[in-house]
Amino acid sequence: MRTRVLAVLAYAGVGLTLAIAILVPFYLMGALTGVMAHAGLRVDDKFTGGTVAQSFVHEGYTIRVHEAVWPRMLERTEPFVQIVFEPVSALPAQVNEAIDLDGDGEPDVRVEFTVPASAAAKMHGNVIALNEGYESLRNAGNESFSRMMVRVGDRIVVRVPVRDVARK
Amino acid sequence: MASVTAPAVQKPAFRSVGRSLLLTLPMALWAMVMFTPALRQPGRDGHIGAAAVAVFMTVLFYMMMRTGTTYRWRRIFFVALGFLFPVGFIASLIAVRGTMSIPIERMISGDTPYCFMVTPMVIVPAALFRTLIFPGSILPTPSNPHSIAAMIGLWLAVSLVVGKAWCSYGCFFGGIEEGFAAVAKRARLRRFVLHWGSRLRLTPWAILIFIVVLSAALMEPVYCAWLCPFKTITEYPAVRDVETAIQMAIFIMLFAGLVVALPFLTKKRTQCAFFCPFGAFQSLFNKINLFEIRFDREKCVDCTLCQTECPTIALSKESIREGKTLLNCMKCGACVDACKKDAAVWHIKGTRVGVKPERARLLFLYGGWAMATMFGGSILANSVTTMLGFLPWK
Amino acid sequence: MAAVSFSACAGEALLLGLATGPVCLASCGAVVLPWMLVQPQGLRAHGRQLLLFLAARLAGYLVFAAAVWWLGSTMARAWGGRSWILGVTELLLCVALLAYAAGWPHARCLVAGNAKELVQLGAAPKPRRMGAVALGFLTGINLCPPFLVAGVRVAQLGSLGAALLFFTCFFAGTAIWFAPFLSLGLVRRTPEFIFVGRLAAILLACWYGLSGVFTLVERTVYG
Repeated sequence: MRTRVLAVLAYAGVGLTLAIAILVPFYLMGALTGVMAHAGLRVDDKFTGGTVAQSFVHEGYTIRVHEAVWPRMLERTEPFVQIVFEPVSALPAQVNEAIDLDGDGEPDVRVEFTVPASAAAKMHGNVIALNEGYESLRNAGNESFSRMMVRVGDRIVVRVPVRDVARK
Repeated sequence: MASVTAPAVQKPAFRSVGRSLLLTLPMALWAMVMFTPALRQPGRDGHIGAAAVAVFMTVLFYMMMRTGTTYRWRRIFFVALGFLFPVGFIASLIAVRGTMSIPIERMISGDTPYCFMVTPMVIVPAALFRTLIFPGSILPTPSNPHSIAAMIGLWLAVSLVVGKAWCSYGCFFGGIEEGFAAVAKRARLRRFVLHWGSRLRLTPWAILIFIVVLSAALMEPVYCAWLCPFKTITEYPAVRDVETAIQMAIFIMLFAGLVVALPFLTKKRTQCAFFCPFGAFQSLFNKINLFEIRFDREKCVDCTLCQTECPTIALSKESIREGKTLLNCMKCGACVDACKKDAAVWHIKGTRVGVKPERARLLFLYGGWAMATMFGGSILANSVTTMLGFLPWK
Repeated sequence: MAAVSFSACAGEALLLGLATGPVCLASCGAVVLPWMLVQPQGLRAHGRQLLLFLAARLAGYLVFAAAVWWLGSTMARAWGGRSWILGVTELLLCVALLAYAAGWPHARCLVAGNAKELVQLGAAPKPRRMGAVALGFLTGINLCPPFLVAGVRVAQLGSLGAALLFFTCFFAGTAIWFAPFLSLGLVRRTPEFIFVGRLAAILLACWYGLSGVFTLVERTVYG
């Protein structure tokens, strides 16, 4: 009797497995994708640059300053602040901006770069720290996640390393 | 479950053509359904690729039905998948960005396609910090259809059906090793496997613990950054400093050693058996999957031919004595096809061992081959389409 | 008024510790997990070892608290980032983990010890207390941003007693997150499990060793 019951359950399970197999491309994959997408997860700030803290609108282009990204204990990334200039098409040929990163009304860094002629062209620029809280970058390119000046699509992304722990 | 002394079951050496065709019909219909959307897309190369792969998968299934064997026909598909996947993948990388290397710009824009092997590493950070430590996008975008949610959804759905058989029906990386393992007529390093195999088969678990724990601590996918040998044939972070240069040297050496040289010398899938932490993780699905391979102790004569044939050291003397495989069995069917006494059989958990094993095999194959056709078949079709585009007269 | 500010301070520290717990779990888990995998089976044995580890960790916290209160908040700022202290700590962790992984009795001894048919000569090997203390203390003085924030806060407190209390409450908040490690005591210690545990400990020890060396080289070359 027990053997029979187990066998019935086993074949019921197999039937369910095959039903799942049929449903995978038509429903299940999409459902699981949706669950994952709505699970309240986000990609690590080290990759995305963190949430936008403030925006400065200029003539035709916007400068977005993100919240500082702080590493967790053994994480090897330095703390940094991401600044985004977009759209590239509206930027002047030479950009030289003093930017307030911590929202205290005083500029913290000066960013200067030449807008690259094409999307494929490598870009380099300078970040000059105006106080001790941030680190200057000379001829910044794509060194690391915490110090860079790169073009990503129609945006220029700059990441400035943060120095002072107390600023957290 | 105790085995039953059933009358000696003859492996159907040759099922009749008619019966084989009948059993193949559902899989043929499935292939049609899977590849019809591709046939509706513009482009003759795509039509040829889709049709060719649909026929390919159906014919292989028919041969499984006709001969009553599994391993040889599955291996043809799997090796094809392993070698053709890089063709399509690398071609698409070159077309989009001109290089196999991933510049940091693409990582921060969320354009990195998600690889299922990252999955064990993202779980703990996701649970603790609700953070995904992969430079991709959560939802599909025009520039990145292989988003994190989509690929995890796909992997999970397929794993629910096939369990650890993902490693022999889905993982395109395993096909490369299986191809190199099939080249030599006999193993040159038999003693290495005999003496070290039983210990080294446990190392994937240690590597799994290592990468899961360290990835949570460092908040980066450590295996991808430092250990994955398959970056050699897919994509890798652009070399921009000493660290990334060392990483490149490591993955090239691991690929050459574990994926090419050792499989050739041992005729085993050495990367899968001795290294792959994702395989160890995937083994956990064998606990819930209903299909398995068992050994009828009344028929087994302990010749250990199954052990010799197993490509991933998933059998030991102790496990065979208990009538089971080890947890890392990937249900490739090599042991079943090799066994001369029909002691190694396909089995559904909860039923009696040795009773209607062919039914168990059929039911497993319907699910497993359906997943292989859906996932691996689409990759093959894409690669064939890409290769047709390279033809000189185009 | 003093009682209110005292309890507010303790509450603040506890909440900070609870919020920081996942970070501690992720960071210290890289040490605790492989170390616990090579411990013998048993909830009690694991509980004792974990308590020793946490006590030593608390000692590390209190040493830091006293140092920060004494030297002021500049010390906390100066210790931020991948400092030479982190490098040395990582090297010591490497040595401790290797010692544990290499020194554990071989699997066959453990099996022989458990077999009823065999006569066991001498007592079964006991877990080593000094290892738990060493690992606990080393992780206790390992410095993470929330730890340093707590340090900056402590530097603002009026007395050494308040500083020590703050860090004790902070520690309590983080220690709660280590409770799940007790469950490892329930897992049967088969020879395979022990082999995997030892190998994982060795791999993580190697990581700590390399990381420590790179950190020290970086500090030496770049300052």
